[in-house]
Amino acid sequence: MIRKKILLLGDFSVGKTSLVRRYVDGAFDDKYLTTIGVKISKKLLTLNGEEYEMLIWDVEGSTPSKKISLGYYRGASGAIFVTDVNRQETLDSLADHKEIFLNENPDAAYVVAYNKADMLSEVAKEKIELKDDTFLTSAKDDNNVEALFIRLMEKMVL
Amino acid sequence: MKNIQIILNAILSKDIFEYLTFDQNFEVVDSSAGLVKYLEKSPKVGSDILDFLPELVGSEEEIQEIFSKPHLNYVLESVYKNDYYVNISIEHYDVDRLLVLIHDITDVTLTQQQLLQYSNESILINNTLQNILDSQNALLFVTHNNIITYTNEQFMHYFGVKRMKDLQRKNLKIYEYFDSSLKSYEALYERVNSKEEYIVINKDTFILQATIVESSHTLFTLTKVTKLSNEMQQDTLTGAYKKSYFNTQLKRLINNKEEGIVVVLDLDDFKLINDTYGHQAGDDILKAFVKLIQDNIRGNDIFARWGGEEFLLLLEHTNIEHALKKLESLRTIIDRYTFKHVGHMTASFGVACKEEDDDMHSLLQRADQALYQAKDKGKNCIVFKKA
Repeated sequence: MIRKKILLLGDFSVGKTSLVRRYVDGAFDDKYLTTIGVKISKKLLTLNGEEYEMLIWDVEGSTPSKKISLGYYRGASGAIFVTDVNRQETLDSLADHKEIFLNENPDAAYVVAYNKADMLSEVAKEKIELKDDTFLTSAKDDNNVEALFIRLMEKMVL
Repeated sequence: MKNIQIILNAILSKDIFEYLTFDQNFEVVDSSAGLVKYLEKSPKVGSDILDFLPELVGSEEEIQEIFSKPHLNYVLESVYKNDYYVNISIEHYDVDRLLVLIHDITDVTLTQQQLLQYSNESILINNTLQNILDSQNALLFVTHNNIITYTNEQFMHYFGVKRMKDLQRKNLKIYEYFDSSLKSYEALYERVNSKEEYIVINKDTFILQATIVESSHTLFTLTKVTKLSNEMQQDTLTGAYKKSYFNTQLKRLINNKEEGIVVVLDLDDFKLINDTYGHQAGDDILKAFVKLIQDNIRGNDIFARWGGEEFLLLLEHTNIEHALKKLESLRTIIDRYTFKHVGHMTASFGVACKEEDDDMHSLLQRADQALYQAKDKGKNCIVFKKA
């Protein structure tokens, strides 16, 4: 079995932990509990007949005063950059998260989650321009969560 | 020897450490008994260390290097494992083995987490409040000693600045837009108090309100009057206010027992223009006349069209001496201006100062009578009629 390390990166309170919880445990909790440090979850996945173990690093969110320890980035094969689609500042900081991660892992694959899409109206959703490998996700409604993780794995291994 | 020292130090420091050693194949050699509480299962000798410490996946090459380079180490901080927070460090043990030390930092991390949770929630609430404030009308928060301490995004956007510092550098004095004789925000508050006043800034009209917040600050709210309502209040030909708007403002002044000066203005011999040059020429002259007046009065003066070539001007927050000087300068400007089609034109001014017993009718009537006197005196002049 092939093991792959992926990171979830983004500002605090964008829903990284909820995305992992939804994908790994199929559960969701509305209560916000700040992640500190890193929590690693495992998920088995079969792609093209090959079995993979995805090691999902739910990394604490960065805040204006606290940046992520670079030690977490080492050896990652991929990343999911998570933003809260309702908070512009989290979209603005996306480029910084990408830059730091790709400096450490230039060959790594990544996808982007515009999370908490359940809070948007259908009209507002239609107005959002989604570039390649960017997903409008909702951990609460279980919308596009699995597609997000699978797309990243496809980019990493296929 | 060095590694024994590390373990010894750990025990002596009273910190809680557990350990595990593994060989060059990343297979477990031995481990401390207490390690199991951090792992999903007990590590057996010969088993793959990555089954127990998946945190190391991706860093195998980096870790492998430590076998041959004893000065290197590998550290991973604040890892959540089985309801504990731990620091993981990997050190050189001997040429065949590396030592993994697991340091329990749960207590301190949970305290840090509580602080971080509080801090993050505060930032979220603060951001939400900021977004609410920014979505409101332009807000200006001023101390009683005249220092602007806060403006919201709407306010800064209107004045073309991005930061408070830029605004402070501009030395913006909103009170001067309201009345150039005012010297402070405190004076502006005294004037506005709990009422709603109009203030004109850069050709935009705002409703200005002022509220005392705590004992040291005043909050000024500027609500931009929409373009539509401006247009509804304006004469379509000239852009001067309509008589109905003038009446509203004059009524407010009388009801509030405030001081003010009413002027009736009339373009001299205007009927001849229409008869000689046609109505289009007449319209052009009216527009030019209105622009001349508007460009030379204060933002909060009310200039309205009464009808035909007759106009009204309401001057507040001034005295009759200053007002007459201002009107004389307006008269001169018109006298010196070259109007399209006709060249030279003049205007006559009838002036009345609001007295205690005045109502709208008596005040307007007195100004109108003064205008007739100005016409009788030969036009192109100003007559002030006392009560």
